[in-house]
This record gives sequence, structure tokens and C-alpha cells, in this order.
Amino acid sequence: MTAPARPIRPAGRIGARKEALTGYLFILVPMILFLVLNVGMVLYALYMSVWKWSVLKGPISFIGLRNYENILSDEKFWQAVRNTLYYAAIWVPLTMAIGLFLAVIVNQKIRGQTFFRGAFYFPAIASSAAITTLWIFLVSPFGLFNEIRGALGINPLFELLGYGPNQDWMGDYHTALNSVIILNAWTTSGTFMLFYLASLQSISHDVYEAAAIDGAGAWQTFWQVTFPLLKPGHFFVATVGVIGALQLFDQAFIGGGPNGEPNGALSTIVLYLYNALFIQINFSYAAAIGIVLFVVIFSATLVQRQLFGRTPTW
Amino acid sequence: MSAERNPLATAVNLSSSPAADAASAAPVAPVGARGGRWRRRLAYALLIGYALLMFVPFAWTIITSFKTLPDSTHLTVIPQPFTTDAWTYVFTNLKPTVPVLFANSLLIAGVVTVTNLALGSIAGYAFARLRFPGREALFLLVLATLMIPDQLRLPPVYVLFNSLGVTKGAAAFIPVILISAISASSIFLLRQYFLTIPREIEEAARIDGAGFFTTFLRVILPLATPALSAVTILTFQGTWNSFFWPVVFLSADPSHWTLPLGLTLFRLSGGFGSNWPPLMATVVIATVPILVLYLFFQRYFVEGIAASGVKG
Repeated sequence: MTAPARPIRPAGRIGARKEALTGYLFILVPMILFLVLNVGMVLYALYMSVWKWSVLKGPISFIGLRNYENILSDEKFWQAVRNTLYYAAIWVPLTMAIGLFLAVIVNQKIRGQTFFRGAFYFPAIASSAAITTLWIFLVSPFGLFNEIRGALGINPLFELLGYGPNQDWMGDYHTALNSVIILNAWTTSGTFMLFYLASLQSISHDVYEAAAIDGAGAWQTFWQVTFPLLKPGHFFVATVGVIGALQLFDQAFIGGGPNGEPNGALSTIVLYLYNALFIQINFSYAAAIGIVLFVVIFSATLVQRQLFGRTPTW
Repeated sequence: MSAERNPLATAVNLSSSPAADAASAAPVAPVGARGGRWRRRLAYALLIGYALLMFVPFAWTIITSFKTLPDSTHLTVIPQPFTTDAWTYVFTNLKPTVPVLFANSLLIAGVVTVTNLALGSIAGYAFARLRFPGREALFLLVLATLMIPDQLRLPPVYVLFNSLGVTKGAAAFIPVILISAISASSIFLLRQYFLTIPREIEEAARIDGAGFFTTFLRVILPLATPALSAVTILTFQGTWNSFFWPVVFLSADPSHWTLPLGLTLFRLSGGFGSNWPPLMATVVIATVPILVLYLFFQRYFVEGIAASGVKG
């Protein structure tokens, strides 16, 4: 990734010094921004998390790990964790499956390949706010989804599951999070398809020829040849997916505001961090939640690395 | 620019011809003609079905924006009656009006794009070409910032800017812009591109007596148009769509809202909750600029995704 630049002709000592100074000058502004707003802020978050913090005065008294202890016994935090883990557990495999499925179909010799690839990626380009607002409208009590299933006459099926003809999918405690899962599977499947396409196209043709000579059918070839060979792709997509899932915020906020309405059904870890900061106005508690989240994301990446092996190089 | 030299050219390339695509696509195992035909029909049915799932909701958005509120809950494809009331409403009556939201979004996305281009290209050039002690370590530090989630930074960043007094009034734009002013992926993308430009070209300029900055500005930048275009489009799209930092710093005063904030807060803060036609008109306005970019520069979106991974 960091291919070293090969040195040019040796310059004089003065030339080398001038070049080095120019180099530092050229990276000065970005480095200051990175050091202050990234590295510095991580350290500052750690610092904040062990103090009792006043909005006006800043640190008041040292409280050690009390914020972290409070997190462990905060029922609302655990609700956010449960929601986030549930979301990750369903959304990641679902979106991976759709993405892989689309990639395999689009990768065949078909007309309009370019069009279909472009079309499937299309929902990913719109803003989370636009697409979530549109989604809330679609699944509202008198929205397109309910109207269409009414027109198709499949309402008895939904009745069986306990949903009336004008179910408010985003407004009902029991269906809100699932609605967000489907929304994000819809918008992100195209992105995962692109990742899988890159991975699929790195598989050598010889492998398929060998499989064909052995008389393997398409189904068999997919499961016994393609799927295992996509392992680096699975790792990459799963990692990106889990990291994204643990950071779920936009759709939850846009759907249910800073409290994750209805009734905390859309409360996620990040949403709860926002809540701790701006609704509870507990700055150091929010900082501690941020640290916990970072540790969780980092561990998840390490676990996946153990499960899937090395990161792909592409 | 040949594909081998271009770091942006990845395995995924939407712009290549169908013939080239077919050649590069992994072949499926040969099956009997009949089986192949059926499988192909099934594949087309699935593709078209899924493509409809992509387009129908957007078409429905546009249709709804020309409806009246009572009609917006009906399954009518042609608005009855057809009205532009929702559009007039969002352009004139809404507070703030859609043009204000649009201007705020454009201001942030525009400034952030320019700073990413300027800072990213000059730093990318230094990391690619200039020799100075600690270069590789500093570059790794830049890449490491990609691992820091925004949420971890939120409480300290808010406290920092709050103590500087720039979270109130129009000054609240400053933190939103500063925090996105330069991204590691912009530097990375440009550096990788600069590495592919032959050294001989700039050496000639240096022999002619040009300084580092002149060489960068007159020789290197004009050769880097593809990478600069990619950074422009990716940064503009990402910032135009961004929600997290704007909602943190700009939600207090409606006159500072961006389009994503307007869409969210009009709906959440009551009164506008399910007034669907104007909401859908705003969705259309928020999406059209990005849609236009996508139609014209599709391959940059796709290559950027393949190169830098998904953005939240």
C-alpha cells in the first residue's frame, strides 16, 4: 500500500535540506488538522472520560473509571447495544447474501451488464436523509408498500403475522428496527455487489475450466469452487459491514430522533452517545461510550481477521 | 492514461464496453443449450425485478411531489389533480426555504471539496516525491486516522469548538468545515496517482530551474486530472450527503440547516410530519445534484468505492 518512492539523483546537502523543508511545509496544514482533530481528540476523549465534567467549567473532579462502571449498569445503554447487535447480526449477512447474489448474476455473459451494475449501485449515492425520508413515506400507514399489498390481495398473509392493513412499520416498536434493516440492505446491497465483483474477477479462469472438465454443474461449481475462493472478499465485505453496522446512526436518528423513537426501538450505540451528550448533557459519560465503541469495533475487526485470515491486498 | 499506470483503474470498471466486460467476466460452467437458456431467462427476470426495486421508489417520490396531500396516500400513478403546490410551498413558504437549505449544503460541500483538492494534492505530492526524514511514518499516521470513528471524536470535538466559541451563530459552519477539510483518503488517492507519473517529466522542469512548488503546480497537477476529478466527485458527494457533523453543529438554528437536516428536522419537529408532497419535493432536490454527477461520472463513484472502501 505504501510503495516507497525511489530516490532521484543525489542532490547537494543544501538541496536535500531545502527539499526536506519544502516537504514539511507541504504537509504542514493537513498534519496539524490530523494531529489536533484526530490523534489529539482520541487522547482528549480518554482524558474526558475519567472526569466529572461541567459544560461551563470543564473538568471538575477526577472520578476514575466510574463512567465505565455506570455504562455497565445503564439499562438504556444495553438496549442500544442489543439493538445494534441485532441489527449487525441480521443486516450484515443479509446484505452480503444479496450483494454476492447480484454480483454472480451480473458477472454472467448478459446484455446490459453495465446498466444493471449502475442501477444496483444507484440507491447508495443518495443521502441517508433523502433515502430514509423516502423510505419512511413508503412504509407509512398509507404508503406505497401497504397500498400495494392491499391491491395484490396478500393482506391475509400479513394478518396471519399480526399486521393490519395500515401497519406503521417505522412507527411500531416491534417493526421499526427491522424496517431499517431492510432499508439499509436495499441501499447497501449495490455497494457489496461492487466489492464482490472485484473479488469474483480476481478468480482465475483456469479454476472454472478445471471444474468444468471434472463435470461440475453451475450450482456445484459455485458452492465448491467460487464461494471458498471468495474468502478474501468475504472478509473484506464482512469487516466493512460490521464496522458500518456498529456505527449505525443516520437512519436511526432520521427515523426516530435523538431518543430512538418509538420507545427506544431505534436507539443504537452511537445514537445513545449523541443522547448522552446533547439530551442528558453528560459530556464525560458520552466520551466513555465513545471509547467503549471504539474498543468494540477494533475487537470485532481482530476477531474477523482470525476467522477469515489475512486482509486481501486489493 | 493507460490502465496499468492508473491506480484508480480497478477490477471494477463500469465504463468498459460490454464486449470487454464479457471477456473479463469469469465464465460460467458450460451447460446444455436448454439449461443455459432457462438460466439466462431467470437471470434477466431477477435483474429486471431488482432494478425495478431500485427505481420505483424514486419514481414514486417524483410523482408524489406533484400530488395533493390527500392524493399522496393513494395508489395513483398520475397525480389527481396534478399540482405544483408542493414545489411552490418548499420554495416560498417553508422556513427556511429549500433554496436556503440548498445554499448551505452547497457552501459546505464546495468549501470542503476545494480544501481537500488543495491540501490533498500538495500533501500527496510531498508524500509521493519529496524526501524528508519521517516521511513514511507520517504517512502511516495519516492512514491510521481512517480507523478512528467519528463518534469517538464527537464529545471532545464538541467541547473543543464550544470552548472556542464557534458553535453558535454562523460560526457553527467552521467546525463542520474544519473537521472535513482534509481526509486521509484524498491524500492517499492523490499520492498513489502522483507515484505513477514518470520522474523524468518533473526532473526536466527542475533542471530548467523551477522550484518544487512551481514544478508541482505547472507540471504535476495538470497531469493528475483523473485523480483530481475522482477526489472532487467523491468529496462533493460525501459532504453533500453528510449528516453526522451537520446535525451536531448546525441543528440549533434552522437558517443554517443543510438539505439532509431540513428533511429530518422538518419531519421530526412536528407540523410537517406527514406532509408528504413537500417532503418528497425536498428529497428530489437533495438527490438531483448527486444523480447528475452519477450519470456523468459513474466510474469515479465506483472506482472510489473500490479504492477506499465504504463511507458511513
